[in-house]
Amino acid sequence: LIHILRLKAALWILVDSREISSGSEIISSLKAAHGVKVQVCALGGCDYIVSNRMAVERRTYSELLSSLNRSKVTQRIQHLQSVFERICVIVEKDRVKAGETSRLLQRTKHYDSMLSAFSRAGIRILFSSCQEESAHLLKDLALVEQRKNVAIRVPTEARGAKQATLRFYLSIPNASYVAALNMCHGFDSVRQMANSSPEDIAARACVSQQKAEEIYRYIHYIFDSQIQTSGLCT
Amino acid sequence: MTAKERAPVQAGAFSVPYGHVIGHEKWRGSQIAQGLQGKIKLILEDGLGLVDFHLSNRSCILYISEADLVAGNGFKRRLVRFRNASSLHGIVIVEKTQITDQYFLAVQKFIVLELGMTLLPVVNQGEASQLIIQLVHEQSKDHTSNPFLHKKCPQLVEASILRTVQQIPGVGKTKAVLLLQHFVSIHQLCNASVQDLELVVGPTIAQQIHAFFMQTK
Repeated sequence: LIHILRLKAALWILVDSREISSGSEIISSLKAAHGVKVQVCALGGCDYIVSNRMAVERRTYSELLSSLNRSKVTQRIQHLQSVFERICVIVEKDRVKAGETSRLLQRTKHYDSMLSAFSRAGIRILFSSCQEESAHLLKDLALVEQRKNVAIRVPTEARGAKQATLRFYLSIPNASYVAALNMCHGFDSVRQMANSSPEDIAARACVSQQKAEEIYRYIHYIFDSQIQTSGLCT
Repeated sequence: MTAKERAPVQAGAFSVPYGHVIGHEKWRGSQIAQGLQGKIKLILEDGLGLVDFHLSNRSCILYISEADLVAGNGFKRRLVRFRNASSLHGIVIVEKTQITDQYFLAVQKFIVLELGMTLLPVVNQGEASQLIIQLVHEQSKDHTSNPFLHKKCPQLVEASILRTVQQIPGVGKTKAVLLLQHFVSIHQLCNASVQDLELVVGPTIAQQIHAFFMQTK
């Protein structure tokens, strides 16, 4: 039995540092109620990473009701699509602030059309009534991903000189935070990474073959200084 | 009864005309049917089996009412039968009301995480008809009008590469440009020797860059 318990790897979830203020109950609930290992880092454009391939975006119900947020939400999710293979949106019920009575928010056409667009594009949607429930959903997502062998395995933060290496990998377009972390831990040096085949990158960064090929092409891309000097790169 | 009528799902034979939805006969006179009136064309047919509405030849709706949820696990068997019989994208519309709220978390886990289907909650049939209208609109649109389906124009690669090279400690924009003019790719830059690098930047920075690429765990 002890052997089985040992084999059961810890469940890790990466949390964006901005969630410390807006989702504090999620973080504490993940740790306390669900025994999930939480690593808070600046994920840059992503709320949660639950596996090597899945990002989770948390949005309140009222944010999705109003078309005023359309471009912001759309851009965030398009960015996630360029980096992750799977995306899940958690639609969370708005909190009722102390002394405020629960507002009855009218469902809108815009909300229904956003849900329709998500659904057609294969973006998963989960609904939550509070932060505790969102924590529960995050843990469930991470568990499903763990069963599919794509769980986060190297969550230890990069420290010291490794910070610069992490930033270097993070600047590769289409490399997620978790892929960058995996590269930090999977390759002995940046030179080794640069000399790797797409297959090697896929294995060490724990990304799909397609992503690995994108990274490979980027590393080998011939820089055109003409384009650069014409001022397009500000 | 023909075999076709007994089939749990009509095989993807439906080519639903744009702006139309094909619904199960049982929805005749329902609040959903009324809500769709004048907005989209609803065609009611017999023999849809487990499916309530066909949106296109690829996707359909299964409706789980408050009564279905209260009645027990019958709806689960229905969804599993659908999943086993069909490769259509199934959107499950669930009535999430004060009464069914207590079941919602478990139902969601079953539908989304276990079956991998889409779940969209509504309060009543009125909301469901509004949602169905948008789902039909989405199906009728061409691919490019869905912002999550068409590929974003890629950023200029030159700008990204310049940014990547600037992550090397000691390298700012000017040095990054010089290095890339000389070594042309990140791959070549990573393989440059200290002597090679010294031709472009000063010896101290050359050492520093080289050390960055060679640094081991």
